[in-house]
Amino acid sequence: MGEIFKTGLMLMLVAVIAAVALGYVNSITSPIIAEQKEQAKLDAMIDVAGSLATGDLLFDSLSVSGLANPYASVDETLGVVSVTDSAGTELGYLFVAYGKGYSSTVQTMVAVNTAGTVTGNTVLYQQETPGLGANVSNPDKFLYQFDGLNASALLLSKDGGDLDSITGSTITSRAVTESVRDGLDALSEAGIIPVEGGVQ
Amino acid sequence: MMNAMLMSLVIAAPDGGEPSFSIAKMMAIIVSAIFINNYVLSRFLGICPFLGVSKQLDSAVGMGAAVVFVMVLATLGSWLVFHHILVPHGMEYLRTITFIIIIASLVQLVEMILQKFSPALYDALGIFLPLITTNCAILGVAVLNIDDKFSLGYSLVNSVAAGIGFTLALVLMAGLRERMETANVPEALRGLPLAFLIAGAMSIAFLGFAGLGG
Amino acid sequence: MSLAQDFSRGITKENPVFKQALGMCPFLAVTTSVENALGMGAAATFVLVFSNFLVSLFRKVIPAKVRIPSYIVIIATFVTLVDLLMNAYLPALHSSLGIFIPLIVVNCIILGRAEGFANKNKVLPSIVDGIGMGLGFTLAMVTMATFREILGNGSWLGFNLLGEAYQNQPLLIAILAPGAFILMAFILGFFNIMEKRKRGGAK
Repeated sequence: MGEIFKTGLMLMLVAVIAAVALGYVNSITSPIIAEQKEQAKLDAMIDVAGSLATGDLLFDSLSVSGLANPYASVDETLGVVSVTDSAGTELGYLFVAYGKGYSSTVQTMVAVNTAGTVTGNTVLYQQETPGLGANVSNPDKFLYQFDGLNASALLLSKDGGDLDSITGSTITSRAVTESVRDGLDALSEAGIIPVEGGVQ
Repeated sequence: MMNAMLMSLVIAAPDGGEPSFSIAKMMAIIVSAIFINNYVLSRFLGICPFLGVSKQLDSAVGMGAAVVFVMVLATLGSWLVFHHILVPHGMEYLRTITFIIIIASLVQLVEMILQKFSPALYDALGIFLPLITTNCAILGVAVLNIDDKFSLGYSLVNSVAAGIGFTLALVLMAGLRERMETANVPEALRGLPLAFLIAGAMSIAFLGFAGLGG
Repeated sequence: MSLAQDFSRGITKENPVFKQALGMCPFLAVTTSVENALGMGAAATFVLVFSNFLVSLFRKVIPAKVRIPSYIVIIATFVTLVDLLMNAYLPALHSSLGIFIPLIVVNCIILGRAEGFANKNKVLPSIVDGIGMGLGFTLAMVTMATFREILGNGSWLGFNLLGEAYQNQPLLIAILAPGAFILMAFILGFFNIMEKRKRGGAK
């Protein structure tokens, strides 16, 4: 009996020391991780919003009544940030689009002007196949095509539109395109950006 | 009794995710785990048993069955512990350490129970069980279920499908390797290199399933 | 056995990947780029060195019956440590290695060295063994990643080697899953030939 007790105690001791050590490290790293995530998001916001206007910009998260959430199927919500210049003129909006790609949910931050035209975008997160879908992170390969387009023009050439998908990565390309389009549609339905004449 | 317990747990998903269980999403998870993102051939999980236990068809089937069995139990245990113990106490960082302990104890437990109550099943699966603790597909499926924010119901579906995908890869590999035994292969490529070549060819075939997801 | 031998064994004679076929999952999965290979190598080496150190230090204290569970807890602790630190200070690398960081726990190399070497040897040789094995693992991964990144993306450690034209039409298969299996087959085949030559020469 004493033997079992001793070995059990030993194992428990090992586990307790491990848990305490990890708790300590976690208490140091978790604020850093949170801050760095926040910073990365802020950097992306500033970067993308730069396509709306230069100079000082103000960000304000917008609560919109009647805003549908197109991203429920991937357990995310559509949040909208309004961008104003220092004089208080509304320039446009930022939102993050979530699209289920090949092996991950691709997150794309999008800037749209008050007329409903995409002015800039950047991929925040993706875990797609290296060499194929992961190229979505390279703006020159795919996302550059979004600039200047309205919701109705966001269609891959395979689906009858004009956008060339990434070589060998239709699923990723379609996921990003549709997620951005769904976000824009939700914004126009809620009356934030104008509904396109007769197209919708 | 087990079924009734599971049902009530599925309905009471604590993370406020989708409460309903959609058949479409379930099918998508199954097709993805077995074919598109096959755990062995596309995600590279469980390579060691894939190479080690694929020389004969019989043992491949046995290993596959043992993996499916432990995977489901491990998913059940790890999901419940993560969402009902770790998350409420803000201790998500203990995930890796808790999951591996759960898996190691489960394997031990299953081994003891089988030995005592079902010697026939123990004879069939017993030798594979110790190998399973270090099969990264088991820990992999437990972690991916959390990363993908699956509810318990979807997690269990995903783990069964992942296990089937693993078994499929293993059985196909064993069938091919048994045939290759008699083939005239360049000496330098005999053994492990040939196994990798076969795996590569199978992996190319599985790339073809990518279109299914669209 | 000397410390120098403890060190070099893991890199050449008993290389965990090429000679023992251990640690295959991360080896095949993260070698899509040299950067990932280096990151995974560093993380695994860190865990390997510290788990060897602690296992060797407490080899007389830990009862034989709970040996393996204790080792697993020790390894999992250091893996979580790497996970947290990498997430805080190298977020990009953390996200591209993804699930393979927690999976270092089940890397057979680490448990294998704890059970096969550190619990029978003194602290210093165990640490040196950990460094050697870790470097061997890293070197193997970097070798593989070099082939895959150059063929599949025309670059090495992110530097464009083969020019824009190649990058637009690379040998994509090298970076995809099948490429990993096929390249590994040829690398192992190459080692078989070398070994045969060496044996033939010694006769």
